[in-house]
Amino acid sequence: MESFLRTFSDQTINGLVIGNIYAFIAVGLALIFGVGNLINFAHGSVFMVGAYVGWICMTWWNLPLAVAFVVVALVCALVGMAIERFALYPLRGAPPIAPLLATIGVSFMIDQAVQLLFSRNPHAFPNPLIEHRFQVGGVTVSAIDLLIAGVGVATALTLYAFLRFTRWGWALRATAQDREAALQMGVNVNAVNRMTFAIAAALGGIAGLLVGMYFNTVYPTMSFQATFKGFAAVVLGGLGNVPGAVLGGLLLGLIESYGVAIFGATYRNLFAFVILIAVLVWRPNGLFSLRPRVAQEPLTGTFIAKGRPVPTPKWLIATLIGVAFVLPILVPNPYLLQILTNAWLLGMVALSVTLVTGTAGQTSLGQAGFMAIGAYASALLVLRLGWPFELSMIAAAFISAILGTLLVFPAFRLRAAYIAIATLAIGEIVNQVILNWEGLTQGAMGIAGLPPPSLLGWQMIRPHEIYYFSLALLCLAALVQWRLVRSPLGRTWRSLREDEIAAQAFGVNLNRYKTLAFGVAAWIAGLSGAVTGHMYTYISHETFTNTTSILALTMVILGGMGNLLGAIVGAVTLTALPEVFRGLADYRYLVYGLTLLLVIRFRPQGLLGTD
Amino acid sequence: MNASNGQPLLQLKNIDTAYGPIQVHFDLNLHVHAGEIVCLLGGNASGKSTTMKVILGLVQPLRGTVLFDGRAITGLPTPQIVRLGIGSVPEARRIFAQMTVRENLLMGAYHRKDRRAIAEDYERMLALFPRLKERLHQRGGTLSGGEQQMLAIARALMGRPRLICMDEPTMGLSPLYVDRVLALIQQINAQGYTIFMVEQNAHLALQIAHRGYVLQNGRIVMEGSAQALLNDPEIQDAYLGEKQ
Repeated sequence: MESFLRTFSDQTINGLVIGNIYAFIAVGLALIFGVGNLINFAHGSVFMVGAYVGWICMTWWNLPLAVAFVVVALVCALVGMAIERFALYPLRGAPPIAPLLATIGVSFMIDQAVQLLFSRNPHAFPNPLIEHRFQVGGVTVSAIDLLIAGVGVATALTLYAFLRFTRWGWALRATAQDREAALQMGVNVNAVNRMTFAIAAALGGIAGLLVGMYFNTVYPTMSFQATFKGFAAVVLGGLGNVPGAVLGGLLLGLIESYGVAIFGATYRNLFAFVILIAVLVWRPNGLFSLRPRVAQEPLTGTFIAKGRPVPTPKWLIATLIGVAFVLPILVPNPYLLQILTNAWLLGMVALSVTLVTGTAGQTSLGQAGFMAIGAYASALLVLRLGWPFELSMIAAAFISAILGTLLVFPAFRLRAAYIAIATLAIGEIVNQVILNWEGLTQGAMGIAGLPPPSLLGWQMIRPHEIYYFSLALLCLAALVQWRLVRSPLGRTWRSLREDEIAAQAFGVNLNRYKTLAFGVAAWIAGLSGAVTGHMYTYISHETFTNTTSILALTMVILGGMGNLLGAIVGAVTLTALPEVFRGLADYRYLVYGLTLLLVIRFRPQGLLGTD
Repeated sequence: MNASNGQPLLQLKNIDTAYGPIQVHFDLNLHVHAGEIVCLLGGNASGKSTTMKVILGLVQPLRGTVLFDGRAITGLPTPQIVRLGIGSVPEARRIFAQMTVRENLLMGAYHRKDRRAIAEDYERMLALFPRLKERLHQRGGTLSGGEQQMLAIARALMGRPRLICMDEPTMGLSPLYVDRVLALIQQINAQGYTIFMVEQNAHLALQIAHRGYVLQNGRIVMEGSAQALLNDPEIQDAYLGEKQ
């Protein structure tokens, strides 16, 4: 009993310390959401930059800790202002989904830049404090715990005083409450926006430095986790609610800490994602708001810009398909065929994204989750039950459609930006479940030895065989989707995209049509995942990540939302681009991020126009 | 109060405005002299509120010029227009709901630097609005609609504007507060503030205004002294409902 109490109090301290760091991240996100009505996906990247700057200060330059804090805060504030100035400021006036996607592009670019500069391997971050642990009333506390708590309290007080008693703080609060009224008081809301980014980024950077010191390591992928923990904390506290964000951060830290103590360390990340979805669905205003606020109307819609599809005559499409089919004969280069096979398989995922996001208007960032379900379903059916691939592939598509739709179902009541976060979390949950359900999925080991795709005894091993197979599947999927989109069903989907409330007023059952859209999309993505898995012969919880989901959405934006040919053109372009310019292969995500930013800014309707 | 003979304080010249393909204003011309209360009347969707937004720089006109004190302010950012001396009592009041009454008042003086004068104005507002003084540390959102309107007007006055633009100041208020607000507008006009107000309730507005314009489908269809407009049979028919 006593040891239980000791563990409990230790876990509480642990949870509060980590929660303190989450609070730092969440407060920045809440400020940015409050002032700019923007969900900032680049926040974790700034956090990571903070960790690296801190690491440089301490290990390269041997600066004292206090100086390192100042340098980190300043550098990150500058990074934050640069993001606002160059990626977001030009998009003012655009629909809110545009700046959100721009922050995704920025995060790709920053993460890749840090990887290129400092390698993707972790670096050791020596703890500059004494390693001594104090016993305080039966609780063990280390120096770093005290530091984090102290910095947390000091920062919270400073921020409170700033918001409450300074001119700039008032301007910030006024802008957050009513942007247009603030303008009419003479507040330069653009300057307030930039200042908010600077403050949020400085807080995020300090959090990064603290995390680096706490875990004694810095690594590039800490960025995404931080963004997501921040989202979970901020959603717990209510979007845009700064004190709520602090409480949400502490609460998330405690839940994680107790959860890890009970279930084990591999479950750590699952809690944040589950909490995120549960709160979004059941208490979208957070735990601490007494009365529900009015829904944020500007957060609707998925289209960055409306535009007509570029006319594509039938003969041109027929020619393109013809060229794709004779290509292996004309250019039997296995490297090229491999790249194009990837493009065809990702093209199917892009088709599925353009269906839910472009046609039905539900921004999805979770498509890789459907791929993972499809891949694992097929792998397990073949390896455990001895099914033939032809059958397992089809069954996997249906399993993905059913499971995928069930997973997204609770999020159906959410709108644009919220459903984007929810689907991203669902994609992560799929991977976390795969990681933890060892009896079924072999956990972190993954599943090796998948037989290559086969059709009626014909094993597809050589590049041109799998090339043809995936191309045929893509054409089939595109054809089916084209028929659906042109049918009355397609018209109903588009009515959801244009105006859910009006559609409902005309008797459209929203849930039924969203189910159909996600079902068909998950079917196609699941099929692609199954084939991809067998092609790779090895799958794990890291094969189909959120990066793939975001990449698929980028393809769709590049080609033009809702435009089927556009999705495929986007897939081919983004898959081939880094390969064509060989030197770019290492800069893959820089290219993707930059593409996203440039398209949103200069051709928001995509290459082939929205449809 | 007589309109001065010099140039108008505010002048809108040949304004055309559009939201996308929908044109709102067609060759709009109007002016306000220093010391006047001028009201802009019109029904729903006649373009009244957009006129306010054009003056404040929240909406850019396609063509035409807004002159303030003889200077073209078209295209200037809103904060700069406010600094030049145009105060705003926005439609639906737009009080900062989470800020206290005191903070709301001081936000009105946000663009001013003269701390001592701001403190004086603040005391003046508390004397003028005893109701607000009682509620200084309450959040703006907890006030009643009428109290919020008072706060919005006081907030605009805190900026020491040379012109106050009021967008439907009586909208949604109880009859008691409608009268209070109108009396207040007359009172501050008597203190020297120039007022340009948009109103749907023509009868009320013309009782306190010196002059009025009637806006219909984006065009000025009538203008004149308040008395002349009140007596105009067409106005009575269309806006005052005397013949119903």
